[in-house]
Amino acid sequence: MPKILIVDDEEGIRMLYSMELQDEGYEIITLPDGNGLLEVLEKQRPDCVIMDIKMKEFSGLDLLQQIRKRYYDLPVILNSAYSSFKVDLKSVAADYYVVKSSDLTELKEKLRLALEARIPQDMSDRS
Amino acid sequence: MKFEEDNPQRITSAEIVVGIPSLNEAATISFPVQQSDRGLTKYYSGKTSVIVNVDNHSPDGTHKAFMETSTATPKIYISTDEGVTGKGNNLRNLFQKALELEAKAVIVIDADLKSMSPIWIRNLAEPLFDDYDFVAPLYIRHKYDVTVTNSIAYPLTRALYGRRVRQPIGGDVGFSNQVARSFAESRIWDEAIAHFGIDVWMTTNAVKSHGSIIQSFMGRPKVHKIRDIDSQVGLIFEDVVGTIFELMLHFESFWKEVKWSRPTGVYGFGLGDIEVPPPVNLDTHGLWEKFVSGVKQRWDIYSAVLERDNLIKLEEVMDIPAMGFEFPAGLWTKLVYDFAVAYKHGLRNRGELVRSLIPLHYGKTLSFVLETEAMNNQQVEEYIEDQCLQFEKTKPYLLDRWGSS
Repeated sequence: MPKILIVDDEEGIRMLYSMELQDEGYEIITLPDGNGLLEVLEKQRPDCVIMDIKMKEFSGLDLLQQIRKRYYDLPVILNSAYSSFKVDLKSVAADYYVVKSSDLTELKEKLRLALEARIPQDMSDRS
Repeated sequence: MKFEEDNPQRITSAEIVVGIPSLNEAATISFPVQQSDRGLTKYYSGKTSVIVNVDNHSPDGTHKAFMETSTATPKIYISTDEGVTGKGNNLRNLFQKALELEAKAVIVIDADLKSMSPIWIRNLAEPLFDDYDFVAPLYIRHKYDVTVTNSIAYPLTRALYGRRVRQPIGGDVGFSNQVARSFAESRIWDEAIAHFGIDVWMTTNAVKSHGSIIQSFMGRPKVHKIRDIDSQVGLIFEDVVGTIFELMLHFESFWKEVKWSRPTGVYGFGLGDIEVPPPVNLDTHGLWEKFVSGVKQRWDIYSAVLERDNLIKLEEVMDIPAMGFEFPAGLWTKLVYDFAVAYKHGLRNRGELVRSLIPLHYGKTLSFVLETEAMNNQQVEEYIEDQCLQFEKTKPYLLDRWGSS
């Protein structure tokens, strides 16, 4: 069962996503902000992170950079009520950027793509 | 490859090598040389460095213009034999020289750049001293610049190799000693790679080697010498797409295992001031005419190469007038995949096959121009993202048609 970490400062969002994604068969862990994020990643080893951008004391874009330094290939989906952060080049490091909506269809689809993504280790070529 | 060398300061080692490939760039090469020198002096005064002009024996005096550009950094001039041209041939000489010099960081800068600033050197070199192996450039470009990148090079390499490198033929890159060695030792080489195919060859090899890749934001838009766009797009398209198709044959066991794609991060410099790129104007009526006449001229090739359903849909697209023209992304993707399969099977002369895709590229570009006319840069990026997803979603079609090796 894939383990998903949700980082969002809105309790309602954490609850909604937890219920919806548990119904889809995912194991869910949550954090209200970036405090202790790297420790949770180290201990819990989630398969994917769904992260808000505009949190009270944290920027999801800065947290994404911290994640990338240590976990180059951990799937991260940025999830914000604002589409304007897409212009920030830091968002390029995310697997997907999904604008928040009460309809979670797109989020679930992008989560599936992020978890299914596969790049093999180098294989010797033919020549 | 044999080359002649002018190394007046007898440089035998350097931690940083800046390579500038050229062919007849006497009028332009001084500017990137000066900017590179300023960058090396400002950011890397504690490291040894050298600027290397890797030239195609230019008859216009590029050698003299390079050597006479005043710099604090030592310079080396290297040339292919007379008559041997191609950016790839120049870079092959650079790979070899970088290994001889035991360079830790190798930077490649185009010789006709007009918008480069010293910070480009830092942005391309610094990640290499932070354990990254390959640095690809990230520029803000006008939506109608680099149509080959947007319509085929980026979506196709991303769908094949699973790594999102936004400018796979950007030209200005950085790589480590280890990557320079793998480039120098690669046995995959042909005429297209020896010319404009070299950039996508480097990016693809770097992605496939599973070293750590990063993108670095250059700040300023890429502005270079204005050339004859028509002939240039054709040459670039042929070399770039020919190289991608050729590499598909060699790296089949790798890309067949790739599913969807993963991002490539952007190195953590501040973004600084973002300049607006200069406008690029495309002649939409000219694109439509080249699309229609080119497709009619090559219909026998399309009939042999394309799946029947795709051929019928292409006929439908041919009937759409220039005003309101649209080339569906799904059809474009399948046509590209059909051509890749035809290339594999050698259904026609491979050069002729790749050239036959060019009229379709004009049609796709026209559609892109019309659909994105009112969009800002960010909206265009989202549009291109959708096109890329189309290539990824349609990959099972390619796998099915490609078959086993």
